[in-house]
Amino acid sequence: VTPVDSTVHVRLRVNGEDRDVGVPRGTALLGVLRDDLGLTAARYGCGHGACGSCYAMADGRAVATCMMPVEDAIGKELTTVEGLARSGTLHPVQQAFLDEDAMQCGYCTGGMLISAAALLATNPTPTELQIRTALAAHLCRCGVYGRAIRAVQRAAAGLPR
Amino acid sequence: MTGPTWGSARSAEQLEQRVSVEADGTVVIRSGKVEYGQGIRTGFAAIVAEELDVSMDQMRVVLGETDQVPWDMGTFGSMSTAVDGQQVRAAASYARTVLLERAAARWGVAVAQIDTKNGCVVGPGGRSISYQELTAGAPLTGVVPQGPPNSRSRATMVDSPRRLEARGIVTGSIQYPADVRLPGMLRGYALHGASPGARLVGLDDRDAREMPGVVAVVRDQDFVGVVARRDEQALAAARALDARWDSEPPKAAGLTDVLLRRDADVEFAFARASLKLVATYHVPHIAHGSIGPSAAVADVRDGGTDLYVATQRPFAMRDAVAKLLGQSVERVRIHPQAMSGLYGRGNSGDAAIDAARLSAAVRRPVLVQWTREDEFRLSPHRPELDAELQAAVDSSGAIVGWRSEIRTNPHTYGDGPGSDTMVAMTSGRNAVPPYRLGRADVLLHVAPGRVRTGAFRSLAAAPNVFASESFIDELARASHQDPMAFRLRHVEDARLRAVLEIVRERSEWDSRARIDGRGLGVACAVYHGTYVAEVAEVVVAAGGGVRLTRVWCAVDAGRLVLPDGARNQIEGSVQQSASWTLLEELGVRAGEVTTTTWREYPIATCLDAPQSIDVVFCGDASTPSSGIGEPGSVPIAAAIANAVCDACGARVRRLPLTAAAVDRARKEPA
Repeated sequence: VTPVDSTVHVRLRVNGEDRDVGVPRGTALLGVLRDDLGLTAARYGCGHGACGSCYAMADGRAVATCMMPVEDAIGKELTTVEGLARSGTLHPVQQAFLDEDAMQCGYCTGGMLISAAALLATNPTPTELQIRTALAAHLCRCGVYGRAIRAVQRAAAGLPR
Repeated sequence: MTGPTWGSARSAEQLEQRVSVEADGTVVIRSGKVEYGQGIRTGFAAIVAEELDVSMDQMRVVLGETDQVPWDMGTFGSMSTAVDGQQVRAAASYARTVLLERAAARWGVAVAQIDTKNGCVVGPGGRSISYQELTAGAPLTGVVPQGPPNSRSRATMVDSPRRLEARGIVTGSIQYPADVRLPGMLRGYALHGASPGARLVGLDDRDAREMPGVVAVVRDQDFVGVVARRDEQALAAARALDARWDSEPPKAAGLTDVLLRRDADVEFAFARASLKLVATYHVPHIAHGSIGPSAAVADVRDGGTDLYVATQRPFAMRDAVAKLLGQSVERVRIHPQAMSGLYGRGNSGDAAIDAARLSAAVRRPVLVQWTREDEFRLSPHRPELDAELQAAVDSSGAIVGWRSEIRTNPHTYGDGPGSDTMVAMTSGRNAVPPYRLGRADVLLHVAPGRVRTGAFRSLAAAPNVFASESFIDELARASHQDPMAFRLRHVEDARLRAVLEIVRERSEWDSRARIDGRGLGVACAVYHGTYVAEVAEVVVAAGGGVRLTRVWCAVDAGRLVLPDGARNQIEGSVQQSASWTLLEELGVRAGEVTTTTWREYPIATCLDAPQSIDVVFCGDASTPSSGIGEPGSVPIAAAIANAVCDACGARVRRLPLTAAAVDRARKEPA
């Protein structure tokens, strides 16, 4: 049984802002984003890092926030789906997913966008296999994989060289 | 809107139930259907844009809000566009008629002299009056005429408008049930016995009550749950409950036999045949696999209840919650949120019922989030299917006799399997193949499954078509006929022929070079008026592993409302059903699901996606729309199994088509 007074106060850097929260020690970053910071685009899907619905970027890497204790996020630059667009302009991967209609129910889309954005940030000219591999962490029951691959290719093609 | 008015009464709808114009010119459309990624919100908006000359951004589509929309049985069976879309079209068409008549009367001109344009009625001399002016103080009303609407829709859509939810999806602002935040909202989590109807015979909640954040432990007969301040706290406290369950033995009754077809002289047809074949096929229990597990927010107050949910049957949920809480149905309001793809999962309201019970106990809004493990262990799943098929072929290579004996489980919810007609429509769906069969006998047995079963995308169609379209292939091969030509010679329906001919051509069926380990397979179906044929190309590895490399689909669904949305549905249903076919089987032991995580139940990922899914629509734009959400998922299992046989000679009659199953079948004599 966890002691009642086990609250931990942490400062997180999320979407370019410092955010202070007090939450039970060991709370998953996913719960903090959704319930303390009002950022619900990272979604619960499985709780063990196997479906990709909860992804956010931590220091540029796509991570499963359901598996990351909030203490481990301290000092990291976190980006959620809400932070991908800059001053009203969609991120290229967001625009490309719109243009390809690479979505149906949308539950997995946020996670795919995070992994796609992380991929293109380090590899602006990915091969199809690299795209597939980057998106493989994201289970999509609606089956939009073909469109998602095309969307990332479209986003990559539009990046400045 | 309360009483059930389905069936023939649906055609006598009041216009105001469907279409209204707000003071700012927004046109409001109402339907009892819900949106879970299939695109009906956009489809309905497109229909109204055509009929009523308003742009889609000037519209609000209200779906499934039970206090605002006409009663509806539910969103399933690929019927939203085909059935409710027609109601919406008729209402929008009639709304235009009323608006034209009002403008004509106001201007003193004939209706024939005026027209509609972009939310206005326009008339001679450049006159123009907006819909909101024509409805100010006089809302649209009247009985929508029966019969087909005086449709003015263009023969072909020039463009496929972007889905209305798309921007919210890519920016993350779209709201699923678990994203709803109400003032004072708490988190709840309920325990459930491993089988439906399990009785709670003992409970020690002392540890749970001491856990951080716990607000209440709620027990009501066989229901027990926890309400806490945080999600994690509710879950942790529920796990600290010591609950003892007594599972009731499954009800003995519930077996139903339905004769789907019985011709005379079947015995005679078999007796005089030159070739007789028999084969048995098995389809296992599989999971819906919605990526978002069930979640719901309930806000139960003395004066009424609001539920924020994902459901395919808002009115059934309303009625169930009203009964549970002892409130009148008018006081229970269902607010459908964005939904993770449901595929039948949204026909039972589990998380919503949990949330309603917990909120009723604490009189605060409560959000309940089922875990992934709950979703595997407690959900209703797809029924199993065992089919024994026999056929007789004469010396000319034509089928002259057919027998099917099919065993499966209920594809609906409730106490029993329902009437014979209901069983035939659900568990018997697509059990009779769409071919000239000579003398045929098709018998269906329905009995409770090894686990709780319920509705699943296409109901029994995909399992039945796996069996019959695999068997058709076996017949073709056994009688030394090309599987495509064999199908075509037994098809009478021109629309079915057409889709087969298209995939034959697109896949270069007749001219493709033979490569060892690569194969093509075809299968087809007529599903609720939609014709679909699919060719699968697979590569079978040395160890038996199957890779689906390409798929060609031809679909005749009549007139398309959203061509690219329809394409997305077909692509997605192929991808999803390929996953069922190649990968999926639930673990079941002693009546309980043993699968708890995605690791034990892998589904297709981006690495498994075929290189291409070619989709051709060949429907006539003058033919009414039929469904698009399910048909694509029906033929693929057989198409893949037939392609595997083509590639390596292995006939696998049991899903999933794992490497081990293919390897085993390859070593068996044919």
